[in-house]
Amino acid sequence: MSTVNTETRPAEGANTSQVDNGDSWRRLSPVSIVYFTTSNLKKLAQFLIYVVPALAVSANVLDLQNSPYTVPVLILVLTGLSLSGVVSYLFYRFRVHDQHVEIRDGVFHRRHVNLPFWRIQNVKIEQPLYYRPMQFALVVLDTAGSAEEEARIVAVPHAYAQQLRKQVLAWHQSPATPAQHETAVTSSTPVSEPGEEVLNRRSIGDLVIHGITNNRVWILLGAAAPFYDTISTRAAEWLGARGLQLGQLAGEQTFAWWQLTLYVISFVTIIMAIIALLSVGGALLTFYDYTLSRHHDRYIRRSGLLNKQEVSMRHSRIQLVRAKQDWLDMLLKRVNLYFEQNTSTAQQHADLMSPNKLLVPSVTVAETRELVEQAMPDSRMYQKEYEGISLRYLMHWLGVWIWPPTILALSALVFLQVWDAAAILLTLSLVISGLLWLRWWRWGVACDKRYMYVRSGRLGVDYQCFELYKAQQVTVVQSVLMARAGVATLKVVLASGQVTVPFLPVTTANRLANILLDSAERSRKSWM
Amino acid sequence: MDPTTYTNQPVALAALPDIRELETVPISPRYRILNLLTWAAIMLGLCLILSALRFQPWFTPPEPFILAYPVAIGIIISVGLVNLVYHWLADPLIRYAVREQDLVLQRGLFFRVLVCQPILRVQHIELKRGPLERLAGLARLQVFSAGGSAHTFEVPGLTPRRAAQLRQFILDHKELDAR
Repeated sequence: MSTVNTETRPAEGANTSQVDNGDSWRRLSPVSIVYFTTSNLKKLAQFLIYVVPALAVSANVLDLQNSPYTVPVLILVLTGLSLSGVVSYLFYRFRVHDQHVEIRDGVFHRRHVNLPFWRIQNVKIEQPLYYRPMQFALVVLDTAGSAEEEARIVAVPHAYAQQLRKQVLAWHQSPATPAQHETAVTSSTPVSEPGEEVLNRRSIGDLVIHGITNNRVWILLGAAAPFYDTISTRAAEWLGARGLQLGQLAGEQTFAWWQLTLYVISFVTIIMAIIALLSVGGALLTFYDYTLSRHHDRYIRRSGLLNKQEVSMRHSRIQLVRAKQDWLDMLLKRVNLYFEQNTSTAQQHADLMSPNKLLVPSVTVAETRELVEQAMPDSRMYQKEYEGISLRYLMHWLGVWIWPPTILALSALVFLQVWDAAAILLTLSLVISGLLWLRWWRWGVACDKRYMYVRSGRLGVDYQCFELYKAQQVTVVQSVLMARAGVATLKVVLASGQVTVPFLPVTTANRLANILLDSAERSRKSWM
Repeated sequence: MDPTTYTNQPVALAALPDIRELETVPISPRYRILNLLTWAAIMLGLCLILSALRFQPWFTPPEPFILAYPVAIGIIISVGLVNLVYHWLADPLIRYAVREQDLVLQRGLFFRVLVCQPILRVQHIELKRGPLERLAGLARLQVFSAGGSAHTFEVPGLTPRRAAQLRQFILDHKELDAR
């Protein structure tokens, strides 16, 4: 952090005038009409996906193409849509007043949202493509409550959005730590603020790696849903032009097995290549120009190719740090690092964009260490000696769930002399056993004065680290057999979700449970 | 988090309070009776409805129904019996305890579960009484933390008086901070 402007609360009040608009209600800027229209269009498109079959049937039955009403109705729908943007704009008012954000919107279904600053969890600033030339922004205010309480200030100047965000977050800072009250109040530049330290940037190369190692296809697929049919037709045409005909495959009875294998291999390769390409595209779309920076006690993530997003998260809100490495990540020595906060209310579909899980995509191990050290000082996620889970875990899974049914089925198959099926079954069971062995081998827990660490994974490794006092609830589970074997499963509920360590020696499970409870209760510290 | 107020004193592990060595109280025995009666009623009700349809004098039921009838009765009775046996054995195992700083619940027949909910982390509390519970004079205490509704801490089968006491105890906890 280069400069820290320490200011007291009254001084901040002078600044308030820029954001606070008193008793008067404020209208959005007219750009919001574009936003409203596109979002209405999106809603209509989503609705149409379900209606299309019905429409198609009725179109056939009623011969709509030739009906004289079809064209006027279509025109009416389109004008209605474009007008709906204007109407939504006219009916939308907001004001920021006395530490509250108030929004009145809705045409038929009027809504009045009144959000006190202290209830606002996250402030997210989005810049869709069409907002950028004029420097407008969309502010999304998240609460800890339900998703319906989310407030969107649809179009305000970007500088105003920054100012508002600063104020909301400053409110959080001041009552909690009055001694350390620090708010940098200077004219806000759209890109970054003074006193902000960039922790990490992702280059296009990193994002390509991220696209390959992680399946980000659905980002593009979700956006392209209306075009599936065209895409599949085109793909079939393209494949046909390359001499690969799917129809032939099914039709011809007499081709050699090596031909089939070749077909399958080439087909799979093509599909994989397409998926990888799409995935890289998805990664670039979301994470283009990624920067993670830190400004006093909050993390700010900016990224996006078409839709620029800015998400801030207070450092104290981080419940859990997760460093995830899949097998491909292991090969390329990359890590996906997640800073997870309260996810109990998060909508799962907005996973990547959501401020509830701040993702630093495909960073190197060294960078991970640095970032984790920043977020959780003195944590020793990678250095720790992990106490492995009991061998009972492996015995339970192999001895109860995998091998008894396998052996039963195998003996039946051998008795019936179905050798190929038996071979397949045997390999499958062996592979699953291998994966389970890896899972058992990886799963471990460690704990020090301040943090608890959990390591898990199969081919990849997944490290989780959280501060002991952030535990919301602790559960120790033992089945009757587990009790006899002296093992127990420990479940720790955090605001970001549940962390499970199965089949720990019962003394360890109890010791950890007691430590967790004690530090949560003794610390008196808020988990936020 | 504020580094200045943070202390990092060593903790003597043996001195930590232990959740295993805790006197727990059983929930009201009426909870088991209520569950047994409910299941018995469901079982009997379903059997009666099916039998009434099967043996009513007005028309002959379709052939598949006649064939399926004994199977359906068998399934209903076995499911009902399993549940009756389960509740007979499992409900007395539900026990709870209240400490200064947390609530503890034990339950489970095959999986012995021990849940511990620090009162400091409680977000809100609900006292629930369904129609059957009202009939039986029982109440259920639900304690919500930020861990989400899937991890709601619930003590079933409390007397309304006890439930209200517990609720008040949690609300009076001085560290409880809604924000």
